[in-house]
Amino acid sequence: MVRSALASRGTGLTRGPHRASLSIPAITVLLGSLTAVLPIVSLHGWWPDAGLLMLLAWRLLRADAWAAWLAAPLGLMHDLLTGSPVGLSMALWPMFMLALDVADRRTMWRDYWIEWLLAALFLSLAEIAQWQVAMWDGAAVPFATIAPAILIAIFCFPLAALLVARIDHWRLGR
Amino acid sequence: MVASAGPRPGWSRRAQYGLFFGFVATVAAIVVGLFMLILSLAAPSTFSAVRGIALDAMAPAAGALNEVSTTATGLVSGAGNYWDAARQNAELKRQRSAMLRRMVEAKAISLENTELKRALALRERDRSTVATGRVVGSSFSSPRRFAILSVGTRDGVTVGMPVRAADGLIGRVIEAGRFASRVLLVSDRANIVPARLVRGGVPVIATGRGDGTVDVRPLEVGRNPFRRGDIIVTSGTGGLYPPLWPIARIVRLDDDGAIALPLADPGQISFALVEPPFEPEAIAEAARSEEPR
Repeated sequence: MVRSALASRGTGLTRGPHRASLSIPAITVLLGSLTAVLPIVSLHGWWPDAGLLMLLAWRLLRADAWAAWLAAPLGLMHDLLTGSPVGLSMALWPMFMLALDVADRRTMWRDYWIEWLLAALFLSLAEIAQWQVAMWDGAAVPFATIAPAILIAIFCFPLAALLVARIDHWRLGR
Repeated sequence: MVASAGPRPGWSRRAQYGLFFGFVATVAAIVVGLFMLILSLAAPSTFSAVRGIALDAMAPAAGALNEVSTTATGLVSGAGNYWDAARQNAELKRQRSAMLRRMVEAKAISLENTELKRALALRERDRSTVATGRVVGSSFSSPRRFAILSVGTRDGVTVGMPVRAADGLIGRVIEAGRFASRVLLVSDRANIVPARLVRGGVPVIATGRGDGTVDVRPLEVGRNPFRRGDIIVTSGTGGLYPPLWPIARIVRLDDDGAIALPLADPGQISFALVEPPFEPEAIAEAARSEEPR
């Protein structure tokens, strides 16, 4: 009994949070951005932004996963890894954090559908911002080109939410 | 479930200040981010050093993963080759003999061509490939069409060099790290290639559509010169892409142009060749006018 209580990380009831539990959310977002190194050569840019999906899933699950400003360095890393214009995600992601703070205050009840709706809103905003920046950058593709990307991202959110819930469960040792 | 009302600081002065300064830091980060975005749009070369470092950091992992996936797909397609091998063999033999006949013709034409050029005293620079690399990744989650190539400045690659595969034009280098570079594909909206039709030599302009296809328009307005199955090649105008590189095949006509499919699919090719620009002055010109990426 005493031995199991003194053990650093026990099992069952005595198991505490993971040692790196505070940094795990940010690390998983970074891992999401790192999917950019996967050898996927796609003709369409329809794959979802895994980094942004993880960020939104964490933030919707927990308001205290990280300080809001941490989204800026994460966004900067995302920009550098995915090759999008530097500063795009760096500006966008902290804006989403502040907007979600406001949403937290305004929504009385929170259920899964509201979370999905919020995520869908922010995922579409991110894709539209990417599209607009590409337009300023001399690549004015018609909106229909990015519509599938928006839909795919929205339907990928439940997967990200499930993954994040599992990781949260593991990180807190429950 | 009741919504978590965000962080509630309660009466603790320390917690209240922490929350406030956190908010200030977030707003400051947004402002810095917007400033960097404007900078990277207005002067794309500002972050080239740090972007080059990020490319280099990614390249080894991307290259290794690429090897794994190539091996895996190779096993599957390799096994498929044994299926129905006798029929395939006969088919290949027939194709080979047809090719040989065409090759003899082509050699004769090429000889004639050199003689004619010599007669005209037309001089051409000796062109040799700068580097050979693999396509190890792409911008699969963005409306832009980029590919990552496993060669960089260490191999002599510089920004602005045209890239091709055996099948045809791939694009041009827009960012070069030490071990890796980023290529603007032909199918990107910002990539405009001066081209011409092989049949008839009508000058056309090829612009990417952002979805893997290319939009082709004739330079002269009037009758639509395209037919399905037509091949377009680079014309050499502008001095960046050398002439007569195959670009794309027309797959659909529309009212004043056509939509074409690039002949070199970056997802299928095994090697990409980086070549020097056709007229080296074009690079200096591009650097001076700070081309929009």
